[in-house]
Amino acid sequence: MSRTAVPLLAVAVAALAAVAVCAGPAGWRWPWAWDAIVVDLRAPRVVLAGVVGAALAVAGVAMQAVLHNDLAEPYLLGLSGGASTGAVLALAAGGVPAGAGAAAGALGASALVRALARGPFDPTRLILAGVAVGAVCSSVTGLAIALAPPERLLRSATFWLFGGLGAPPWPVVAAPAAILVAATAWLRARAERLDRLSLGADVAAALGVDVARVRRGVLVAAIGLTAVTVAAAGLIGFVGLIAPHAARRWVGAPVRRCLPVAALGGAALVIAADLAARTAAAPREVPVGLVTALVGGPFFLLQLRRGVTA
Amino acid sequence: MSAVTATSVAVGRGAAPVLTGVELTVHAGERIALVGGNGSGKTTLLRALAGIDRPHAGTIAWAGGALPPGPARAATVGVVFQGEPPSRFDVRTLVGLGLALDGPLSPSARRTADAALAAAGLAGLAERACASLSGGEAQRALLARALVAGPRLLLLDEPTNHLDPARQAALLDELDRLRGTVAVVIATHDLGLAATCDRVALLAGGRIAALGPATDVLTPTRLAAALGVAVRRIDDPAGGPPLVRVTGVAPGGAP
Repeated sequence: MSRTAVPLLAVAVAALAAVAVCAGPAGWRWPWAWDAIVVDLRAPRVVLAGVVGAALAVAGVAMQAVLHNDLAEPYLLGLSGGASTGAVLALAAGGVPAGAGAAAGALGASALVRALARGPFDPTRLILAGVAVGAVCSSVTGLAIALAPPERLLRSATFWLFGGLGAPPWPVVAAPAAILVAATAWLRARAERLDRLSLGADVAAALGVDVARVRRGVLVAAIGLTAVTVAAAGLIGFVGLIAPHAARRWVGAPVRRCLPVAALGGAALVIAADLAARTAAAPREVPVGLVTALVGGPFFLLQLRRGVTA
Repeated sequence: MSAVTATSVAVGRGAAPVLTGVELTVHAGERIALVGGNGSGKTTLLRALAGIDRPHAGTIAWAGGALPPGPARAATVGVVFQGEPPSRFDVRTLVGLGLALDGPLSPSARRTADAALAAAGLAGLAERACASLSGGEAQRALLARALVAGPRLLLLDEPTNHLDPARQAALLDELDRLRGTVAVVIATHDLGLAATCDRVALLAGGRIAALGPATDVLTPTRLAAALGVAVRRIDDPAGGPPLVRVTGVAPGGAP
């Protein structure tokens, strides 16, 4: 079953993407036409949705392995919130690219969460620290948006707090895609080291893993993936939680098997969520992060009920 | 050749060493227990022997040399830590990770893992999730993970913790199977387990207070001095290893 998962999912993502490109408030585009609506509006949006979903899922897989914590993901650990705050502050200050601000914000949030969760290893406390930092970041983001000169922000508070894919120009899609490919390749090349790390830092060290180095690499990858997705699509939560869980259920926990399945699953999830977001209440658009939260929130509660696994 | 040799070693996880002047040679195939009160440095010494923490001073040599990197390290020393939580993998994957290979298991590596599973009596459980194993099975799987790469040195931290008497007996059978081929160092509070070892190192006062055959080290006088408890030896008339029973706290109290 696990051998067929990747081709099956790839076909499913392609089919979902095709439906998403055909559907929209401007009507169902069929038979297929490469007109301006498809090429300039829908296609880049669907591709960005796929890239963002895959990036968040890949970050989730890596963070869960390294932190021995199945609830670790960019949103619940506050990285996404930090990235969003960083991007908004960068834009409000002017002269700093949103992506750089997002990276700095995610780095700051991760440092803060680590400092708060310092002490004996406790998976629950780590998540608690992450959620707290995320909440503080949300209020700082809202405050910055309320006080910043409006001409500098270009995007709404909704985008920075609940995500949104808009109609990205193709170059905006390219940066997250490039980071996704690079980070996935780096992680895949270290798949078994991540597996050993998920057994615990000491076990991994005894099994020849350079723990500090791999952890640093995963942190950089997670921050890079989070920053670039938040800069391009705002704050979209829970994807890094749902997709890796489903992938582990399907093909098992080894990172080599679960990484591509989680990435494709994340892509499918965000493409579907965005499709729902822009068609359910058309012509009005619901923020895509609200849709993922609607699915992810209950999923998170279910996981909490089962107990945080270390 | 010795499995591991510590020379003038000082170890500690903080700035100040917990143990100093450690001279310990673990011979090939022998079983040694590290016994001592909480904070006496048993686990700290074990971690240094595993190459996880560098000693503050002195040198440690594994099979006469430094610890090699990567898969060769797993083939030199195997470790099972205290209270390792069940992993999210199936049993074969867990044991395969003990080979410390980068990349998916090759057919020959898979055969090696399956042989280790069979030796641990887990052949039928290869596909099972680790989280679904019983306590005894889980420990056998962890031992198989530590032994799969064929190390000549195995380090165990409190292996009998939380095991009922039947599982403790099963663990002893496992350890007896390794006797003569794999040197085993066990950090333990379990004096009964220590009594089954060829030699016992008694840690007290920041050093190895006594090192020698179990019958010489696990004496009421020595244990009372090192652990602050009164103990009584119960010798098995059938000729088994001497059992040691803690009979009460010595005047002055336990440390």
